[in-house]
Amino acid sequence: MSIEVVDATLFTSLDPVTLAGSACRACGSHVFPAIESCPTCSSVDVERVALPTEGTVWSWTTQHFAPKPPFKTDEFIPFSIGYIDLGPVIVQGWLVGKNEWVIGEPVHLVLTHAWTQDSGAVCTFGFEVV
Amino acid sequence: MSPNKNDIYIVGAARTQFGRFDGEDNDLAEEAVRGALADCDLSWTDIAFAVGGTNGETKPDNLVSRLGLTGLPFVTVKNGCATGAVALMTARNGMVAENLDLACVVGYDNHARGAFNVSPARYGLGDWYGATGMMVTTSYFALKIQRYLYEHGIDERTLGYASAKAFAYAKDHPYAWRRKPVSVDETLDADMINDPLTRLMFCSPDAGAAALILARGSRAFDLCDTPIRLASVALRGRRPGSFEVFSPWLSPGDRTSPSIDAAKAAFDAAVITPADVQVAQLQDTDSGAEVIHLGETGLITHGDQEAAYRNGDFEIDGRLPVNTDGGLLANGEPVGASGLRQVHEIVRQLQGRADGKQVPGTPRIGFTHVYGAPGISACTVLIKEGAQP
Repeated sequence: MSIEVVDATLFTSLDPVTLAGSACRACGSHVFPAIESCPTCSSVDVERVALPTEGTVWSWTTQHFAPKPPFKTDEFIPFSIGYIDLGPVIVQGWLVGKNEWVIGEPVHLVLTHAWTQDSGAVCTFGFEVV
Repeated sequence: MSPNKNDIYIVGAARTQFGRFDGEDNDLAEEAVRGALADCDLSWTDIAFAVGGTNGETKPDNLVSRLGLTGLPFVTVKNGCATGAVALMTARNGMVAENLDLACVVGYDNHARGAFNVSPARYGLGDWYGATGMMVTTSYFALKIQRYLYEHGIDERTLGYASAKAFAYAKDHPYAWRRKPVSVDETLDADMINDPLTRLMFCSPDAGAAALILARGSRAFDLCDTPIRLASVALRGRRPGSFEVFSPWLSPGDRTSPSIDAAKAAFDAAVITPADVQVAQLQDTDSGAEVIHLGETGLITHGDQEAAYRNGDFEIDGRLPVNTDGGLLANGEPVGASGLRQVHEIVRQLQGRADGKQVPGTPRIGFTHVYGAPGISACTVLIKEGAQP
C-alpha cells in the first residue's frame, strides 16, 4: 500500500524516508524544499539532492494553540516545531515524541501522521530522538 | 546653524490612539494627517508631495478625496512592518530629487483580531507548509529567541523584563493601547503561547495611524521652533545567513540580519555611532525581538541585555531609554503606522514634549528601527540641532 504524504515533491524517497533539497553546483549552497535557482549566488545551475537524515536540534518551540486554517489536524494537541541542523542546511520540521527539547539534541528523520482525509491517513516529515 | 538646502526636517507630527477601531481606515489616516498639519500650522494645500502606506485594502493615494484635490503626486508604499519607514524614506528621496519643500507622510492600518493569517502561496511556499502548522508568526518569534538566548547565554527572565518595561511606559502614555502595568513574574507566569514566549510577551495587530510633515532646508525653521533633522534613513534586505519568518530552511554558518545592515548604514550615513544614541525605538513584535534588536543594531553588546535590563538601563532615567511609548508590545502593530509611531515618539522626546514619560535632560540624538517579513529592516537617525541664528 502506498503512503500518502502532504507533498510528494518534498521527498526523494518515502521508504526509507529522505528529504529532497537542491544543491548549487556553483557555490555549494543547499536549500529545502528543492528550487530551480540558488538564493545565495543567483546561479540556475542547481541539482536535486537527497538531504542527510540525521542532525541536531538547532532551535525548538512548542505550539500551544491551534493555528488558523490552512492548518489541518484531526484533533489539536500541542506539538513541537524545530529547526534541525543537517550539516549542509538547517531544515524546519516537526519534532515528534515529546514537547520539551534541548538545543544540540541528536534527532533523525521519520514519517509521522499529519491528518486523516477521505482517502486515508496523510503523513508529513518530522524528527525524533535518535 | 544654517541648514543645507537638502537637509530634511520633521516639522509636524501626530498619531491617533492605537487599539481597536470600528470606523473606516481612512478616518484614522485623515485624523493623523490633519493632526500633523495642525502641529506646524500648515494646510493640506501647502503640501507638494505625499507618501502613504498601509497593508490593508484601502488606497492611501485616495486620501486626497478627503484632504483636498490639489493635484499633488501621492505615492503608495506597501513593505510589511517596514512600511512606515519606507514611506518616510520615499518622501525624503522625492523631496531631494524634485526640489520640493513640503511633504506629508502617513501610515495606517486597521487589522482584524488575532495573529496574521497569511497564505503560503503569497510567500512562494507550498500548501503543505501552512497545512502542517509551520506558517505561524508566533512560532517563528519563539524559534528565533530560543536560539538567541542559547547562543548568548541569556536567561529567559530577560523576556519578562522587556514586557514589564513596555507596559510600565504605556501606563503613562495617553495614545498607547495596553496600559495596565504587569510585573516581571506575571509576564513569565502567563499562558505559554510558543516556548519560551507567553501571552504577555507578544504584540497584537490592531488599528492606528501616524503622520509626519517634512520640510526641506531653511524652510523648516520658519515652520517649527525645534525641527528635528532626519539625519539618515536606510533600508536593507536579507542576505544568506539571516533567520526570517516563513523559512523552511536556513543557511548554516555565520548569522546575518537585515537589522544589522540597516542600522549600520543609518549610523554611517548620519556620521554617528550607536553609543551616541540617547533615546531609541526598536521593533518589539515580541519581547524577544527587543532583546535581539538591542544587540543587532549595536546599541548593546550581544549577551549584555540581561544585566542592562536589571540595571534599569532602558528606563526613562537610564543610560538609553528604549520604546518610551510602550513600543509594539503596548501599542500593538497597525503595520502601516508602526514605523511612523516610532518616529513620532522620538520627535516628541527630542522636542521635550513627550506625550508620556519625558526623557530627562536634553536628548539630542534618537534612533528608530523596524523589521519584518520577508526579511527587511529600516532605521532612522533623528537629530535635534541648535536654533538657527
